[in-house]
Amino acid sequence: MDREQEKLQLKQHIIKYLNLLHVTPEEITDDMPMFREGLGLDSIDSIEMVVMMEREYGLKIENPKDGRDILQTINSMMDFIEKGRAAKAAEEKA
Amino acid sequence: MFYIHQSSCISHQPTFNDVDLEDLKPSENNLIHAIEPKYENVPLGQLRRMGRALRMGVGTCMKLLGTHNVNGLLIGTANGGIEDSIMFLNQIHDYEEGRLTPTAFVQSTYNAIAGMVGMITVNHGYNATHVHRALAFENVVLDAAMLLKENLDNSYLIGGVDEISVKNHRLVTLAGWYRKEPVSNFDLYKGDAAGTLSGEGAAMFIVSNKSEGATAKLKNLKMVNSNDEKFVQEQLSLFVKENPGKIDLFLQGENGDNRLLKYYTTCESLMSGETTVARFKHAFGEFQTVTALALWLSANVLQTQKIAQHFIKKNSATEFNRILIYNNYQGMQHSFMLVERV
Amino acid sequence: MSKIVVTGIGIISPIGNSVAENHAALQAGACGLTSLELFPTRYATLLKFGEIKTTNEDFKKQLGVTAKGVTRTTLLALHAFQQAIEDSGLTGEELQSADTALINGTTIGGMSESENLYLDANQNEVGSEYISSYNLGTVNMYIQQRYKIGGVVNTFNTACSSSANAIAYGARLIQNGFAKRAIVSGTDSLAKFTINGFNSLGILSSTLCKPFDADRSGLNLGEGAAFLVLEKEEDAKGKKIYAEVAGWANTNDAFHPSSLSDNGDGPYLAMQEALRVANLQPEQIGFINAHGTATENNDEKEGIGMKRLFETVPAFASTKSNIGHTLGAAGAIEAVYCILNLMHQEVYQNLRFEKPIEATGLTPVTGHTKIKLEHVMSNSFGFGGNCSSLIFSKA
Repeated sequence: MDREQEKLQLKQHIIKYLNLLHVTPEEITDDMPMFREGLGLDSIDSIEMVVMMEREYGLKIENPKDGRDILQTINSMMDFIEKGRAAKAAEEKA
Repeated sequence: MFYIHQSSCISHQPTFNDVDLEDLKPSENNLIHAIEPKYENVPLGQLRRMGRALRMGVGTCMKLLGTHNVNGLLIGTANGGIEDSIMFLNQIHDYEEGRLTPTAFVQSTYNAIAGMVGMITVNHGYNATHVHRALAFENVVLDAAMLLKENLDNSYLIGGVDEISVKNHRLVTLAGWYRKEPVSNFDLYKGDAAGTLSGEGAAMFIVSNKSEGATAKLKNLKMVNSNDEKFVQEQLSLFVKENPGKIDLFLQGENGDNRLLKYYTTCESLMSGETTVARFKHAFGEFQTVTALALWLSANVLQTQKIAQHFIKKNSATEFNRILIYNNYQGMQHSFMLVERV
Repeated sequence: MSKIVVTGIGIISPIGNSVAENHAALQAGACGLTSLELFPTRYATLLKFGEIKTTNEDFKKQLGVTAKGVTRTTLLALHAFQQAIEDSGLTGEELQSADTALINGTTIGGMSESENLYLDANQNEVGSEYISSYNLGTVNMYIQQRYKIGGVVNTFNTACSSSANAIAYGARLIQNGFAKRAIVSGTDSLAKFTINGFNSLGILSSTLCKPFDADRSGLNLGEGAAFLVLEKEEDAKGKKIYAEVAGWANTNDAFHPSSLSDNGDGPYLAMQEALRVANLQPEQIGFINAHGTATENNDEKEGIGMKRLFETVPAFASTKSNIGHTLGAAGAIEAVYCILNLMHQEVYQNLRFEKPIEATGLTPVTGHTKIKLEHVMSNSFGFGGNCSSLIFSKA
């Protein structure tokens, strides 16, 4: 899967986990803020997305304060996912 | 007690937009499901999280609050978002108490409906959720009556809501309160069997001390906790004496359960030959806050001066000025409400 | 308007099974927060809990419960109920009278039987004994049926402010002539459901909670029950009078399903409205039993609300540092603690406080102190924006 496909899948996960009935993946742009004036999500949604990261990507966000940075936009989440994968791969090699 | 002004209702019959009570809608698989409308007044960002009870409750509230402001919100619900509660409980098991998503937990709290409406409409006023099973809505009525004695010029939104959920239906069936054999709501009162059909719905009202523009007056209320039909009958007799006048319609909550029929027949025997007797649970189903829908139906009858034939058990009155509602749930919690024409 | 007074109290909490035991524990600065012993959960040793170390079987024996389907929430309530009615000297005839009201606040009710609910809802062919108990009304249904309470019976749920509202409802029933006396209460027991629910929101602390401390890290859940008997002052002649229920308020923060607004609107309005009902000025409040859950959000916003209303914030403390957050029971338990404040003219230490929250700079009571008190306030705030305050005055 290339980065664009990965992004689409991430958007689909977000729509499913947050039950965003009124939003299509196309409407979520890569640099749109997830919270407040962007997609309009709140703190409960951010916890839902932390769980999504764990269940769908096997990545843990332990500190809620890190969560705020990681979950800002699709791009920031993709960076986190890719970094997490790289770290896992390095760990497996070692 | 107080006057009823605007109201909204979601039920098994078309009652939310164009009201149609004439044509009884059939039950399906022993369930009397409500017809959910499009919730045009509820922000989508909130709607996405709501279970059925929340949608019906918030939807009926928001239909009234689109144009009116009130001084407080009072909701009666026996089970709140119980489907969400059980969904969350199942998550606890499925993920062995690991990291869980909080939405179902937050939305399953019983006060979520009143809380959500308060939040959407930025209402900082009185905000109460009464949950005492089949007297939840009755306590809402009593609470509103007290608030309107304490604050003469205020108005409040009051109502009741409960949902049919797969899990809850299973629980109540295991407890033996629903029919096991298939039965249509058209035949609910025929035969001699234990159990009833489950229902759901929501009815909301804006109430105040102002008679002008009101659709009905809630004159008085009484609650009784007893399983002794003679005692219930005595209490009804007292209630009728304390509120003298002709009763045109006795609207009672018979539900086709042969174990509960004695309460209705003993109470009905107090009515005179001039009183029309009607029933409503074939149309709304059985649930703990169904009396909110019975109150909505009463206000509708007082306003339109007619009641559809399928509700009627015994026909008599031609004019409706006073309606007495009697309901009981599982033979323990009983209520009487007297509703008058304005 | 007649004064509404308290003529009987009963309590069970993680620091004692009676009013006297709770009083001694508060004076000594005791903490009832430990690992969980009585039911299995992944979090039993990972988190701290205010658990009452009596099993359901022992409670049933002590309380003479033979009926099936009685859950722990009801058992805790029954324990405190029996104390309160005995304390007030209510007769069987009075209990059965049509003007005796019974009002409870709870958030878990019979759903404390989480395991059985799971099995009944998903797989049992035959219902367990708790099949009709999975609702909040179950506590007062049992007490009503056992003692044939004759008047208005109700159960309130406004999340963590449930029993504060039950107390206010009882007082208003009496004032409005719908009851002569009201037995008002709160009860909740620890349950897998609430432990996992609060944990999913990330607001449970793995250490002993530190209300109002800058480095607080969340709340500890607790369990318990408290009952109060309310009567009109003129009907209570010759009885022991503990305190007057002078003010109450129910407002909504109207901001977020599970957090308080930045300016503490809901708390501010609740405290202000309670003062209006009691006909008191802010400076007449000598002590506040704060909501003080020790979550990041609550303690800061509650402090901001207090600072908006009080020119000089009165002495305040959170007894959740002793017993944890007992949810639906908190309002009633803290009402009993306020009564102890007034009776003994003293305030109790907010345990483990070290450093004030930067945004408020407020320091709670840090030691057991004798202090002159006329009026004390109790705050209870819940999910759904439900904020309530009560005011108790010296008898």
